[in-house]
Amino acid sequence: MHALTWPMSATSQSTLLGGDWRLLTTVGLIVAALVWGLILFAAFRWRRRDDREALPPQFRNNYPLEIAWTIVPLIIVGILFVYTYRAEAGVDAVIAHPDVTVAVHAYRWGWNFAYVGGPIVGGPSVGPVDGGAPIDAAPPPQLVLPVGETTRIELTSDDVTHGFWVPDFLFKRDAIPGMINTFDLRPDKLGTFLGRCSQFCGYDHALMTFTVRVVTPKAFAAWRNLPVPS
Amino acid sequence: MTAVARTAPVAATRNDLLSWITTTDHKRIGILYICTSLCYFAIAGALALAIRTQLAVPGNHLLTPHVYNELFTLHGTAMIFLFVAPFALGLANFLIPLQIGAPDMAFPRLNATSYWMFLFGGIIVFSGVATNEGAAAAGWTAYAPLSEIAVSTGLGQDLWIVGVLMVSVASILTSINFVTTVFIYRAPGMTMWRIPIFTWEMVATSLLIFMAFPPLASDLLLLFVDRRLGGHAFDPAFGGNPILYQHLFWFFGHPEVYVMILPYFGVISEIIPVFARKPIFGYTGLVLAAFAIAGLSMGVWAHHMFTTGAVNNPFFSAVSFLIAVPTGVKFFNWIATMWRGSISFKTPMLFSMGFLMNFLLGGVTGVMLASPPVDYQAHDSYFVVAHMHYVLGGGSLFAIFAGLYFWWPKMFGVMLDERLGTWSFWFLFIGFNVAFFPMHILGVEGMPRRVFTYPDTGSLPELNFIATCGAYIMLIGAILFGINVLVSALRGKPAGDDPWGANSLEWATTSPPPEYNFTSLPPIRSERPVWDMHHPEGARASR
Repeated sequence: MHALTWPMSATSQSTLLGGDWRLLTTVGLIVAALVWGLILFAAFRWRRRDDREALPPQFRNNYPLEIAWTIVPLIIVGILFVYTYRAEAGVDAVIAHPDVTVAVHAYRWGWNFAYVGGPIVGGPSVGPVDGGAPIDAAPPPQLVLPVGETTRIELTSDDVTHGFWVPDFLFKRDAIPGMINTFDLRPDKLGTFLGRCSQFCGYDHALMTFTVRVVTPKAFAAWRNLPVPS
Repeated sequence: MTAVARTAPVAATRNDLLSWITTTDHKRIGILYICTSLCYFAIAGALALAIRTQLAVPGNHLLTPHVYNELFTLHGTAMIFLFVAPFALGLANFLIPLQIGAPDMAFPRLNATSYWMFLFGGIIVFSGVATNEGAAAAGWTAYAPLSEIAVSTGLGQDLWIVGVLMVSVASILTSINFVTTVFIYRAPGMTMWRIPIFTWEMVATSLLIFMAFPPLASDLLLLFVDRRLGGHAFDPAFGGNPILYQHLFWFFGHPEVYVMILPYFGVISEIIPVFARKPIFGYTGLVLAAFAIAGLSMGVWAHHMFTTGAVNNPFFSAVSFLIAVPTGVKFFNWIATMWRGSISFKTPMLFSMGFLMNFLLGGVTGVMLASPPVDYQAHDSYFVVAHMHYVLGGGSLFAIFAGLYFWWPKMFGVMLDERLGTWSFWFLFIGFNVAFFPMHILGVEGMPRRVFTYPDTGSLPELNFIATCGAYIMLIGAILFGINVLVSALRGKPAGDDPWGANSLEWATTSPPPEYNFTSLPPIRSERPVWDMHHPEGARASR
């Protein structure tokens, strides 16, 4: 099942994210299945067959059991926390000298991508007819990244809070006015991926998309040196 | 026998409109709260159907983006501030004095004030639809700067602020009333360790309300000052900080989640023992777990902000994981209460089972969302929409129906119909899971929340269509409940004092109870005095 495996893993960061997801889903579903099983078992096994049944045993405590079902979950969430802490540290780590740096500005409703050392690309996500228009009315702004190299993103917003989300990277970060959020992306798969605004930002939030095109370093260098279309 | 028992019931109870408007009787205020919150629920449910209809197919033109944004803002606001939380306050208003053997609340007129502020607060929120630019459309969270005057120019946003402020002040007053009543109005013999679990949960809830709602009030006031009086609290151009809004909001918002679930843990803890014919298992553990949840919930607010890059993710992650432990304790206690019991599946128990099954999944996805790396994908996506609806819809809403079926006979003296109730349950239960389970997958596939449309890619169209079908199946269940209410009003079976063979003191008086509640009280020697009275042999065995 798609949701269980998170097959898309288009950056080296998302490999870590996918691992964390799989661990939590697996543990969560096992615990849920056990508890669902206990509930249904008790419900069927001890359903009342006759209203004249004798009173069931009136026990109300079992301290060893109660201590056990406090301690065991404590250990489980402790392990989950340690694992998740490590995964997060790996995803949030930024390296000292990224190969490419891009200042990303989100605004209502579009994206600007300013590569340090040029070029500056991007623009509105929504075509001239907004609202009811189909989503692909205009080609959305595009972020171009080199595969196998580390790109530093410096993310901010020019108006309200937005969110930079590329579902295939399993990653998002909020774009907050007055604040710069910094993170590294290291794509390991060629292709074009859809990006979206994740934080509700008003009228055309649903249409505030962009694309990420991951190309070879050579193609990236060539693209970078193209004259910016005016 | 006791001070309470000597209070003579008032001879004739007036039942005209004026007597309801001027009432300070906790039972009537409770019923007013419950009926009002159910009206808001009906409106919010209709809004949800409009939302699901818009999303049934990709690229739908039924609603404009602005109308869609108004609808989900009002849906969230109404469900959270005007239904799930106030319904619990209404139920507690009705039940707390009855459960502890008191004649009324400690401050009856303050209690009436709370109700009227709640009613008019809600009306003020909705009155935005009559203004030029329509109702508030910035989401129930109203994040600044989106909700600032520069972007949300309409009067609807101001009305939203004022209405929600009134509702939160009403909640603070009510919580003070509850705690005072429980601490000083208990009948002789009703020690703290004998009060029913529902009342305990309301004590924990009340403490949360007066810790959490004042920060919300200050947040909303700051926003209002920014909008109308030239402030810049959340405007980075003038040294303000949008993150501050989120901190204050979620410092309220996460405890609020427990304000909307602890009372319903109480409801479930009252119902399961009655239908399993056993005492509640692990009374002390349940009470301690409620306070552990309440305490921990004050330290997890920033797990709503994992993707802001502005908070200490590991700290808030660790505390969020910890909340799973006391919540798990409650689950095991409920299962142990059913264990070796003699369980009958009348409607209150059916809905309680629905609660257990649904809430468990909401709890599991909650543990997943405690992990920041999971939030990097799931935050602000339909996965969160699914999680939150499994908690508040599959959890709280099912417990609300359980509580309605259970206490309806006590409130109105007539039973609800079991057959209609069972049908209603299955439509709601199946409809709920059909509507909300697919949303987990939608979120993972990349559908953000709060979007009026989505592209025709992947499995988005199919899953959205299934979810919409589920919403309409739920509608049938809700209509059946409405029919059930009408049928019970016209020819409901008389309930008698104690139709379920229940435990706590509210079942020791008439249905409905007289003004000032009791003419006499049974001896109170455990947390289930009414059961002890009916089972002298079992009472000895159980102590």
